Amino acid sequence: MSVDVLSRLQDLTGDPYSYARAWKGRTGGKVMGFYCHYAPEEIIHAAGALPVRITGENRVISDSGAHLQSYCCSLARTGLDMALGGDLDVLDGTVFVHTCDTMQRLSDIWRLDAGFDAHFDVVLPGRMEGDSSREYLYQELGSFRDRTGEYLGPVDDEALKRSIGIHNRNRVLLEEMYRLRRQDPGVLPSDEVLMVVAASAIMDKEEHNALLEELLGTLETRLSGGGPPPQSSLCKGEEKEEKIRLFGIGSVMDQWEFLRMVEDAGGTIVDDDFCTGHRCAGAVAPEGPDPIESITARIWDGALCPCKHAMSRDRAGYLLERITGSGAKGVLFFQFKFCEPHAFDYPHVKKALDEHGIPSLHLEIEQGSVSIPRLRTRVEALLETMRGA
Amino acid sequence: MVAEEGRKLYLKIDATDRMKQLMTEYYIDAKGAEGTDRPICWITSGGPVEFLIAMDVIPIYPENHGAMCGASKMGVQLAEVAEGLGFSGDLCSYARLDIGSAITHGGPIGGLPRPDFLLCCNNICGTVQKWYEELARYFEVPMFLMDTPFIHKTTYEHATEYVRKQCLELVAFLEEQTGREFSLERFAEVAMLSVEGIELWKEVLKTAEHRPSPLTCFDAFIHMALIVTLRGTPEVVEYYRLLKGEMEKRIENGISAVPEEKHRLIWDNIPIWFEMRNLGQLFARNNTCLVADTYTTAWAIDIKIDDPLTSMADAYTGIYLNISIDLMFEKLLALIERFSADGVVMHSNRSCKPYSLGQYDLARMVTERTGKPVLMIEADMTDSRAYSEAQVRDRVEAFIESFP
Repeated sequence: MSVDVLSRLQDLTGDPYSYARAWKGRTGGKVMGFYCHYAPEEIIHAAGALPVRITGENRVISDSGAHLQSYCCSLARTGLDMALGGDLDVLDGTVFVHTCDTMQRLSDIWRLDAGFDAHFDVVLPGRMEGDSSREYLYQELGSFRDRTGEYLGPVDDEALKRSIGIHNRNRVLLEEMYRLRRQDPGVLPSDEVLMVVAASAIMDKEEHNALLEELLGTLETRLSGGGPPPQSSLCKGEEKEEKIRLFGIGSVMDQWEFLRMVEDAGGTIVDDDFCTGHRCAGAVAPEGPDPIESITARIWDGALCPCKHAMSRDRAGYLLERITGSGAKGVLFFQFKFCEPHAFDYPHVKKALDEHGIPSLHLEIEQGSVSIPRLRTRVEALLETMRGA
Repeated sequence: MVAEEGRKLYLKIDATDRMKQLMTEYYIDAKGAEGTDRPICWITSGGPVEFLIAMDVIPIYPENHGAMCGASKMGVQLAEVAEGLGFSGDLCSYARLDIGSAITHGGPIGGLPRPDFLLCCNNICGTVQKWYEELARYFEVPMFLMDTPFIHKTTYEHATEYVRKQCLELVAFLEEQTGREFSLERFAEVAMLSVEGIELWKEVLKTAEHRPSPLTCFDAFIHMALIVTLRGTPEVVEYYRLLKGEMEKRIENGISAVPEEKHRLIWDNIPIWFEMRNLGQLFARNNTCLVADTYTTAWAIDIKIDDPLTSMADAYTGIYLNISIDLMFEKLLALIERFSADGVVMHSNRSCKPYSLGQYDLARMVTERTGKPVLMIEADMTDSRAYSEAQVRDRVEAFIESFP
């Protein structure tokens, strides 16, 4: 059963916009792209549209080089290239959320050049502590609801509450998948875990919830020793040696080949702080009378992107807690070249890891030029050191 | 036609000595305050310094110091210290060299005096937010982030209100840090002096509208130091009055900054500090005056005396780097028209994404709308390692040759 679920998800993530095309053909609804996990998907969903995440892809740049310099991250460069090349034609519009300087400017360029019908900016606060920032976040989300309403159709409280419920369910189920994996990483290899999360950002959430429930049922059976072992070719059932547990730190992680290589080399990313990973799980919107307040609380209390400022929530401390809780013995930093927020935090987090005797490896990549053999050598070196320790 | 003979390529501005004196006094005073009960606050270049001046807090600008390190060609060695600690060489070079200088006390003035607290305003970039977080950890001092929502198309009332509230929070923060009481009266006085200084600075820049221009943007880059660091003080007002007088006198006497001004261009982005002198001479030799720039005009903000808090919230939110490309384009167009420019030189600055990403679009928009050409120079404001002098020279000369 779960094999079907997983192959379905693999197909989806292999051709991420095919689902949206089919959905659009079926429902006649609008499809709204977004880059950042902070995007209030509930509001888009409640308006009857399909929110679809854009994460760039491994491709050689052609059109976007005329708009973005080479010192801009590949996430922006390949994503814009897709938009300009017509690969994102299924989108009716895009929602940009204020995070880093690059996304801020990409939003302008996208609005001016990509030619989609609609364009929205959600200017989230940079500061995520203090009453005035929270109040501003609440108002900005309300303003976004009003502004999108003019294009997608008005969103009433009841529809929004229903959407919040569906999205909360998704986050709870994703969290459950992570919990089962922490218990036994053997139940599902890390590439499949992250594919499951990636699929949730490109398909209808209710449908994804149904798939997740089915998948979780199978995982529980596996955990209790029943049912067939994982069928993934790279999570070999016959392997007896337990994999080395790693924790992943970075933004977008959809390099499936890389993740399979790590599994193949004898490691597994048992938990992570990727914004296409665990940051999409867990924190739910507390359901109450005011749905905008619910979404505000979810964003406010949820995991922080390094773009966000909150001196009261030390990132190194947060990550150490997560790493320890996951049982990971080592850390993989998987970061985009030219990503300033992550690069600024790296020395601080690395120092904290060193102080706690947690080995780590810093990998910097650009979409479109990921060299698996080169990365493999480095990952194997880390795993060997850890086995020796 | 190259003007090698005759008048010198660079005409010294007499007021420069006074500015150097004021800046030296400022740094000596600030360094002397280290370890005393006079509070020192490091602040970003777009930060609301008026609050600090009104509270008798000494403002220190790592970015100004970064420019100094760059101009003294010490940027690379300091940046390498930070890189040795794991900071990526792709990060903002001001941040890298500042972190390097904090650790080694290196640089032309032996490093900056230690801060008691930090004031960071993200109206210029998100980079400063991360950079100041690192400073807060390194010095173990509190940091206040003034969060100014980016303006994509319009300003929203809730965004203005948010920044206005933060002005009040900043007051409370400063009161707590200094143990002093904030005086609205004193603040209004400072705001008034700030407005006066800013108005005079605008008038100084405006003298370049005259053909031939009495000053170049390379002069403005040097003389902006005071409006950035010490606006809100009487010295700044007095200084820009002096500078304005000198520029007006140049116009009266028919003296131009570039000996034979034939072409007039606008500069976009932060200067290439380590290369300023060469670039200034290169353009002058080719009878070209850089008459205005988008950088020094960024400090020409509007503060209204009758409601300083609200107008400051608007002014600090609306600065050049905190608005969208299309809004920047309007400002750039206005500069081109006002200064009768023949084209634009854009410094595509690896260190500054909010300034540089979007320049390719801006360049196309300029040419489409005005028919005027744009030259793109790939460089970095203080990191000279990726800079090719010969290539830039060739491109600049070819660009100028293309003018009729």
